[in-house]
Amino acid sequence: MSRHEELAQDLEARRARVLEMGGQEKLAARKAAGQLNARERIDHLFDPESFAETGMFATSHIPAMRDKSPADGKVCGYGRIEGRPAAMVSCDITTLGASSSLTNVRKMGHLRRTAIRNGMPMIFLNETSGARIPDTMGAQGTGALGQDPEQFIRGREIPYVAACLGASYGTGTWYTMLSDFVVMRKGACLAVSSPRVTSLAIGEEVQLEELGGWKLHTEKTGLVDYAVDSDEEALDLVKRFLSYLPSHAEELPPAVEPPDESAYDGSSITDIVPAERQKVYDARKLIAAIADPGSVFELKPRFGRVATTALTRMGGKVVGVVATNPMFKGGALDPDGCDKITSFLVLCDSFHIPIVMLTDTPGFLIGVEGERRKAPGKIMNFMSALQMCSVPKLSIVTRKSYGQAYLNMGGSRNSDEMAAWTTADVGFMDPNIGVNVVYGVTAESDPQKFEELKAEISRETSAYDLAAIYSAQSVLDPRQTRQWLMSMLGVHSRGRERGFSRRALANWPTTF
Amino acid sequence: MAEEKICSEITGTVWKIEMGVGDKVEEDDVIMILESMKMEIPVLATCAGTIKELLVDEGSAIAEDQVIAIVDT
Repeated sequence: MSRHEELAQDLEARRARVLEMGGQEKLAARKAAGQLNARERIDHLFDPESFAETGMFATSHIPAMRDKSPADGKVCGYGRIEGRPAAMVSCDITTLGASSSLTNVRKMGHLRRTAIRNGMPMIFLNETSGARIPDTMGAQGTGALGQDPEQFIRGREIPYVAACLGASYGTGTWYTMLSDFVVMRKGACLAVSSPRVTSLAIGEEVQLEELGGWKLHTEKTGLVDYAVDSDEEALDLVKRFLSYLPSHAEELPPAVEPPDESAYDGSSITDIVPAERQKVYDARKLIAAIADPGSVFELKPRFGRVATTALTRMGGKVVGVVATNPMFKGGALDPDGCDKITSFLVLCDSFHIPIVMLTDTPGFLIGVEGERRKAPGKIMNFMSALQMCSVPKLSIVTRKSYGQAYLNMGGSRNSDEMAAWTTADVGFMDPNIGVNVVYGVTAESDPQKFEELKAEISRETSAYDLAAIYSAQSVLDPRQTRQWLMSMLGVHSRGRERGFSRRALANWPTTF
Repeated sequence: MAEEKICSEITGTVWKIEMGVGDKVEEDDVIMILESMKMEIPVLATCAGTIKELLVDEGSAIAEDQVIAIVDT
């Protein structure tokens, strides 16, 4: 055997040892539990034969640990998703708990910088115990960290996507928090520290679900977009999200073949949205009736449900839709709803996605709890983000739109073009409340007077009143909504900028 | 079998109860309709299961976050 052949055999043997990860026993246990291992996740995520690994032979910097740390617990590399490039780190929990070390942090830093420099999304498949002990112990261990002064900056030059596929603490959590889209496998935990560390620190027992479970994060914190039952479902959602986004901020979102417009029938819209203002409906059905068939991808569907935010396509092009949803709290905007919309505006503006706003809201949900949760600040974050957005913004008042909420939802010159349905009702305040506020009369105290004053206060609140002063540029039969949007997306195409946003929101924090 | 508490997201009055004890529900099914802010606002099941208890009656005043039903999942 030649020396070259000997070296080649040695290389193959070393590769095989790395591919064994933390050992057959641990891998078998995962398989039995129905969980993919770090490399199986990569196979599911990337197109076949497209994965190119970087840092396969990286190990712990501690000599005694070199043989126990294949790939140093974080498998990194590049691949393709439906033909488009992406960079990815997949945590191998079977190797030292996929804990963060000096070497694998260096790997991830190189991966991230390469992804940004070359324009491809960065995907984090997280399942990690946090910082590695004893590597980070003592002043020298801790002081060796933090060598990259730009590690935690998000300029949204590329999309970041995270899947929380098991317990995830420390660095895994930090990158998840910096991501534009997060999916979580049910049973996983997303937190600063593990339940055990947290229990020891605060002196009381803390359970995994309570500390960082899927319900907490999809419903209360909104830090996670989706919770699913399996690794495969999580990875499929990562792919679906990325199918709406450009690979980087110097290109436009990917368009697909437009559907046959002659087959479109908007007549279902008047079945979905009742003309009577006291009856509610589900805005998600309205969005589905307007967008290209099968194109609606809702974000944060269990959080801040007074608002629906969804990536969609219209005529094959990506469009972000924001709608107040009367199905939940009557569509009255609460602090969570404001946060959800703001984060969606940031996403759309950063990646050149035009925005459509559909408004049916009695206003902002007022109350002591809302004030405690910084409602005024949330409303102004939302408003400020909207005014900073330089993507095309189209707004439609479908039914109710009152007061400041009218402005937040693109009212008047807070959108590029505004239409009002024939059912629109626009004013300073819901007339039922306004009668009491202005005249001190309630429906209970004096029903007849109340109705008279309500008629008075409801005068000149129609779509035509709004159109008469040119604050609405069009009045629409609801069934004409899609045609109007398609037409106006063409008009407000940002031709001089070739469709690109100025990205003034690109450095907005991912959580706030 | 686990229990899920179904809470009202908003203050209002129970206008109409759509489900009875023992009825099967899917996530997002309407359990009851409240009248609030002069609108008919539904309280939806947050999970699939069977209604174990209904804790309010038609006409009851409901506070935000009040438990209105329990579902066996």
